[in-house]
Order: sequence, then structure tokens, then C-alpha cells
Amino acid sequence: MSFAARRTGLATRLGVLLGLGVFLVWSLAPVVWLVLSSFLTQRALIAQPPDLAPASFTLQNFVAVMQSAASLGHGMLNSFIVASFSTALALALGAPAAYALARLSLPRANVISFMILATQMLPGIAIAIPLFIVITRLGLIDNVWTLGLVYLSFNLPIVIWILRGFFLGIPQGLERAAAVDGAGPVRTFRYIILPISIPPLAAAAVFAFIEAWNEFFFALILTRKSAETVPLVVAQFAGQYQTVFGQMMAAALISVAPVILLAIIFKDQIVRGFADGMMKG
Amino acid sequence: MRAFQTYERRRRSAGAAFVAPALAVLALILAYPILDSIWLALQRVTLKAGQVERTWVGAENFHRLFNDETALRAIFNTAYFSIAEVVLVVGIGLGVALLLNNAMGRSGFFRVVLVIPWAIAPVANAVLWKWILNANYGVLNGVLTSLGLIEHNQVWLGTPTMALNVLLLVDVWKSIPFVALLMLAGLQQVPKVLYRAAYMDGAGSFQTFVHITLPSIKTAIAIAVVLQTIWSLRVFDLIFVLTRGGPADATVLLNFLAYRVTFNFLDLGYGAAIANLVFAATFILAIIYIWLLKPRRRVAAS
Repeated sequence: MSFAARRTGLATRLGVLLGLGVFLVWSLAPVVWLVLSSFLTQRALIAQPPDLAPASFTLQNFVAVMQSAASLGHGMLNSFIVASFSTALALALGAPAAYALARLSLPRANVISFMILATQMLPGIAIAIPLFIVITRLGLIDNVWTLGLVYLSFNLPIVIWILRGFFLGIPQGLERAAAVDGAGPVRTFRYIILPISIPPLAAAAVFAFIEAWNEFFFALILTRKSAETVPLVVAQFAGQYQTVFGQMMAAALISVAPVILLAIIFKDQIVRGFADGMMKG
Repeated sequence: MRAFQTYERRRRSAGAAFVAPALAVLALILAYPILDSIWLALQRVTLKAGQVERTWVGAENFHRLFNDETALRAIFNTAYFSIAEVVLVVGIGLGVALLLNNAMGRSGFFRVVLVIPWAIAPVANAVLWKWILNANYGVLNGVLTSLGLIEHNQVWLGTPTMALNVLLLVDVWKSIPFVALLMLAGLQQVPKVLYRAAYMDGAGSFQTFVHITLPSIKTAIAIAVVLQTIWSLRVFDLIFVLTRGGPADATVLLNFLAYRVTFNFLDLGYGAAIANLVFAATFILAIIYIWLLKPRRRVAAS
């Protein structure tokens, strides 16, 4: 029996159980309702109370959403391109930069790192107006690649920060041994450091992908019809079809399903990589 | 010794090459827009036939900001929203973290429960709550009525004060998981030996919490407070989907106002001035955050 269990009395344990129960209901009830609603007919949803009989369940909402808003598929594709492009670039640029800031005795490496961390927190509006002016002038508005590049403004800093935390913890002996064997910094990074960094690279990638997939503000101001991403499509859909509740929920569910799956699969990496990373310098 | 110096020098020059591309990109998409944003706020900007015309007006936009009733109201709303959100999210987040740090709450299942609301796109979350809060058929009215807590259906987003508080509630729901994870990370760093010592001294759960747990995680709490404040200053998607700032501008927060002035009213200079206000607040908070991170590193080094 663990130390904590031995110490706590029955009353405390009941209290904890109750607390956990409340927490579960509070966190999951809205999500469960999202899933249930998307499978229920309009008649069942507007009944008071909602009619949860087996006959009320249907796949019609999903079929209707994919047909009526053909833009949902289009939006998913755009989101996938933007998020993948932005994530790949953030890793390609961020991994070497994080390694250099953590290990390669750059002057002022800490100051640079903290500046990068600070910029990650900026609200989009702080950079949106000049970016909008420049991108409009260059005729690059409504372009998935432009949007992917702009997403580097939050993805690159966060990737650098997550990876830097990991690189700081690598024992020096590893690099020294590589140097004794005649490997320069580039080869050391490529053949020694990167192969042992797969888990943090995956965590950073998942994190960046989710952030880019969910982003709304820049997508709203920098895209029109052809590059619109899935949050935009869902927001518009919920405006136009706001009384067709089941379809509204089906659209929302389809749009979040990919990243929720990712988050569940990589939950431990996300927790370690980001939550812990934000707590230490 | 010479060999080591060469080693260090080679590492440093490789380091410069490694970090340069990332810094160049950040200069282009972050540093330049930030500086130009400050510059724009000092100008009157008009769009004529797709061309941007910029005229220097000095502090006029800021002068206007502090005499504009909508903006002042937005500042007040933002302050209220942020303070209330931080208190609620950090308070509840700490409670959740304590529960999950308990032997019964350690299962990986609970971490799944935490990452789901976090991973849901803010837009999808807003759309979900639009349905939950629906005045005629929404499940919130249904549940509260059957529990006998309200007598007739409420129009949750219909009146100014109610709308702002309901938005607050929705954002609190979405924000708790991550702050709970932050707190959990802090709790797990408290040395077990402290709890054992408190137990030996006959301290009860409450005393242990006040004298051991709270002092040990006060930095974690401070970090959560600062980060949550920063995050609540950037709430946008929720307002855009649920209220568009209404009713009667009651849910116009500064971030949303900057967007509306810039992209709906096309008043780019004034929009930049409002954006600068959000930027300044965030920047100060970010510096406080970094300052909070530092003492821990000194302790670790010594």
C-alpha cells in the first residue's frame, strides 16, 4: 500500500472520488453531447427532453454535411496542407536552432531563447496588420503556403522551446565522444543527436500540427475562398445552418476528430513536452 | 588545450549557422510586423483603390483611444474578463491537479480527459456551446430546468452582463485542462520527503496543504497566473462565433475590437493603436513570466 493511501482516511478518499467524478462530468459532458448530437435526428434534438431512443440515431447529419457543404472536405484538405507545411518547416528550422541555442556555446544564447519564448505568447493581432498589408501588396492573400509561413510565427518559437529543453539535458560526453571520433558539429547533430531526439521531435510536431490545424484568426484575415481552412468552414456553417443542430455538430466533430485522435495518442508526449517545458527555463 | 579551443570555436561557428535561418524567419514574420505595427499606430492609414496611404499623425490614434467610449468599455471588459478567468481557471485548475496527483487520480485515463478539451479547436468549441446555450432547444436550459434551478428558459447570450459571463464560463471550461497540467507538473516536483516529514510531525491534510504544498508550488502558481492572463487577452474565436461582440458591445474585448476596427472598419492606424495596447500588456506579462522562470534555474545550478 502506498504512503499516500495509508495516510488518507475513508472520508478523504470519498471526497477525492467525488471530486474526480465531478471533474469527469464537467469535462466530458459537453464533448459527449457534441458526439451524441451529431448522430441524432433534428426531431430528437428539439424534443424536450431530447429523445435518445435507438430509433433517433442516424448518420444522415454526416452525409448531409459532406454533401451540402462541399467546402468541408476542401477545408480539411487545406488545413492538412497548411498544418503539415508549417510543422515540417518549424521542425526543419527549429531543430538545428534549438540545438545551437542549447549546446553550441553561442554568445547570449539564453537571452535569444527567452526572447523567442516571449514572442510565442504574442496575440496574433500584434503582427496581423502589417502582415496583412504586405501580403496583400504581394498578391499572396488566400494562399495555403502563405498561411503556413505565417503560422511559423507561433509554431517556430514553440518548437524551438520544446526541443531546447530536451537538448539541454543531453549528457556532454555524447558530443565529446563524437568529437574524439572526428565528427564535426554538423555530423554530430545529424548522426548522434537527431536519432536520440525522435520522441521530443514527435511531441513538438504533434503540438505544432494541432495549433496550426485549430488556428482561426490568421486564417480569417489572410484567406478567402480557395485557401480557407476547416475552422473557417465550420464557423461559416454554424452561421448559415444554426438551426440544423445535428449537422452543425457533425461539422464540428469532423473538424476536430483528427487532432483529438492525435492528442489522445500523444498525450504523454504533449504533457511532458509542453506542460513541463513551460514550467522550467 | 588548443584542440579544445578549436573544438569550441568550430561549435560556435556551426551554432551561428544553425540558428541563423530560424532567426531570419522570425525577424521577417515577427520582428518586422511588431515594429511596423508600432509605426502604423502613429499614422492615419487609408485604403484607396487597393493602395495603402499612410500619413503621420503622431499620438492622435492613442488620444482617440482614451476618449473612445467603446474602447474604454472594451478595456474595462477585458480587465474584468481576464481577472475573473485567471482566478477561476487557476483556482479550479489547482483543485483538479490536486485530485489527479492523488493516488486514485493517477490513471492515464484522466490525462486523456484533460487533453480532449485542450485539443478541441476554439472554433469547434464555440460552435458546440452555441448549441448547448441555444435559448429554445439548448441542453443547458433543459438540464437546469429539470434540476429546478431555473423556472423558464434563459437567453444566455441575450443580455449584456449575462453574455459576457457566459463567454467567460465557456472559456474557463476550455482553459482549465492545460492549467491543471501545468499545476500537476509543479506538484510532481514537490519532494516526497517533505510530505513524509509533515506526516511524522502529525500534520493533517489541510495543514500539509498550507505549509508544504502551497509554498512548494508557489512559483508554479505564479507561472500559471501569468500564462493564463496572456491567454485570456487573446480570446477571439469564441467572441467571433458566439456574439460578434454583442449584445450592445458587451462582449467586445480589446483583441476583438482591434480586429473589428482594422478589418471591418478598415481604420488600420487606429486598429494598430488598439493592437499595441494588447501587445504592451502581453509583453509586460511575458517579461514577468521569464523573470519567474529564472530563480528556479539558479536553484538548480547551485
